[in-house]
Amino acid sequence: MAEIRLANLAHAYGNGSYALKPLDMTWRNGGTYALLGPSGCGKSTMLNIISGLLKPSEGRVLFDGQDVTDKDTGARNIAQVFQVPVIYRSMTVADNLAFPLVCRGVPAARIKARVTAVAERLGLARHLTARANRLTADQKQLISLGRGLVREDVSAVLLDEPLTVIDPQMKFELRKTLKEINREFGLTMVLVTHDQNEALTFADTVVVMNHGEVIQAGSPQELFDRPATAHVGTFIGSPAMNFLPATVEGDLVVLAGTGLSSPLPPGSGSLTFGFRPEHVGTTEGMALDGRIARLWFEGAEQVASIEAAGHVFRARLPGTTASVGDRLSLRLPASALRLYRDDRLVA
Amino acid sequence: MRTLYLTLKYTAILLWSAFVIFPFLWALTTSFKTANGVTGGATWIPWVQYEPSIVGWQSLFGGAGGINVMQPFANSLIVTLTASAISITLGTLAAYALSRFSFKFLWMRNSDITFFFISQRIMPPIVLAIPFFLMLRTLGLLDSLPGLILVYVALLMPIAVWVMVDFFNGIPRGLDEMAWMDGCDPVTTFRRVILPNAVPGLVVAGMFCLIFGWNDFFFAFTLTFTQTQLLPVAIVSLNSSVTPWWALSAAALVSIAPLVVLAFVVERFLSKGGLAGAVR
Repeated sequence: MAEIRLANLAHAYGNGSYALKPLDMTWRNGGTYALLGPSGCGKSTMLNIISGLLKPSEGRVLFDGQDVTDKDTGARNIAQVFQVPVIYRSMTVADNLAFPLVCRGVPAARIKARVTAVAERLGLARHLTARANRLTADQKQLISLGRGLVREDVSAVLLDEPLTVIDPQMKFELRKTLKEINREFGLTMVLVTHDQNEALTFADTVVVMNHGEVIQAGSPQELFDRPATAHVGTFIGSPAMNFLPATVEGDLVVLAGTGLSSPLPPGSGSLTFGFRPEHVGTTEGMALDGRIARLWFEGAEQVASIEAAGHVFRARLPGTTASVGDRLSLRLPASALRLYRDDRLVA
Repeated sequence: MRTLYLTLKYTAILLWSAFVIFPFLWALTTSFKTANGVTGGATWIPWVQYEPSIVGWQSLFGGAGGINVMQPFANSLIVTLTASAISITLGTLAAYALSRFSFKFLWMRNSDITFFFISQRIMPPIVLAIPFFLMLRTLGLLDSLPGLILVYVALLMPIAVWVMVDFFNGIPRGLDEMAWMDGCDPVTTFRRVILPNAVPGLVVAGMFCLIFGWNDFFFAFTLTFTQTQLLPVAIVSLNSSVTPWWALSAAALVSIAPLVVLAFVVERFLSKGGLAGAVR
């Protein structure tokens, strides 16, 4: 159990371009974190740097203030659950769970006690004597997790898309187990995923990454309410956030032909308005009237594609009776309107 | 329909078995014949078609006009087993390194180095005969078991490396990484985690080494004279102006025996599913 600090960390592979752009972050002890981004965005690179499989080209990694950058992966006392279940096929489930303790020279009696306790907790107790490769994929992932849990002092549990190959109905169960384990054991857990749902339901803090860069780190609510870039707004939330080009009129920024406006911030660059389809209403706020171009169900509610003064945006319309072609009188509360300059949140 | 299928299947198996067993059967009957028995076409039934005799078998164990094959047999066993064991051990270690770490030697990368190993077996053996002869002479190991073992290791290790590199490449690297995370040092990782998963590869590599080693005639012939004789050379030396077919047949059966045992052992391993699903 440790606080993980990534101090001015960056990594470039041989050709000099950054796989992971410089970043500085602290992950608190016992927290749940998700690294969210499309494949190739640098999240696995970051995970491998934390676990020690990869040495960063710049910066330091600190566990509880202690510099572990030059320590090898065994000395860091990390547990990792990989995407494809990795278990010691030639060993029994009990031997799999015991292996990290055997490698660390823990006395046999202590090993037995730990293995029994962890197997009991993970529901693997009745499989202890079975060959590990006879188990199902989700059970194998539990074994991987268990190999971390048997070490009471494990620094962190890293989860590298652990649910990808799990059957949908077991996915939910396994995610629940992970969350429970986090609370019970007070473990620092880092989940790598490209699935926003998984990230938002699992983690207290979601770190959104793209092109090797940390774009935003925050709680699921923060990411939803104040996405730092259009990428985050598009990636998180369904349907995606609306982004419409804004124009300057005097000391106001407006969306031409509608009632949307906000004060002009200092500086220069191309301006974009952003707002969530969920925040579009009919009662109060700035006018955003338009015609329904398309209408579809998403979840339990209808989502409409609205045309307004040459702009097209999406709006969630719970309980609407309107149909395609209807003109609607819509409103957007000023508090829900975000302004981006050159793709960065300014207001 | 099903009956027809089974009938055809078993007929085919029976025909093939007969085809495969025939040479063995011929060697077996011939080994109990004498000069009279081998002339005038193939005969099969003892006492009826020919008078059985153990002259052929006696000549293998010091009987008149023969030699004692026990010593060459033991020599062959020692050389083959020792050379195979060394080749498998060194070859497996080399293969693991080639599979897991990046090497650079001059312009050569991992795949070039692996190919370099196997390229030793691409040249015709005759090319190696003179260098081997000179090297063994320098070392004073001509006509000796250690010298032959050394040469056979050079011949067999490429096979072990070739088979095992491919096999290790099939074992996910994640397994190594997981063991490191579990606090396991590289040697223990190899021994406790990787090697148990590589058993089928070891069996295949071992089988190749034993067969190639046991059957080699060329180097056993060129690098020994009088002191050290391996079985294939001893068998050929049975030959004289009148070919003693009975003795040669008996010797052939003796030389095949260890490989038959090996075949049975490997077959048992295969039928237990030892090779299936070893990875993933």
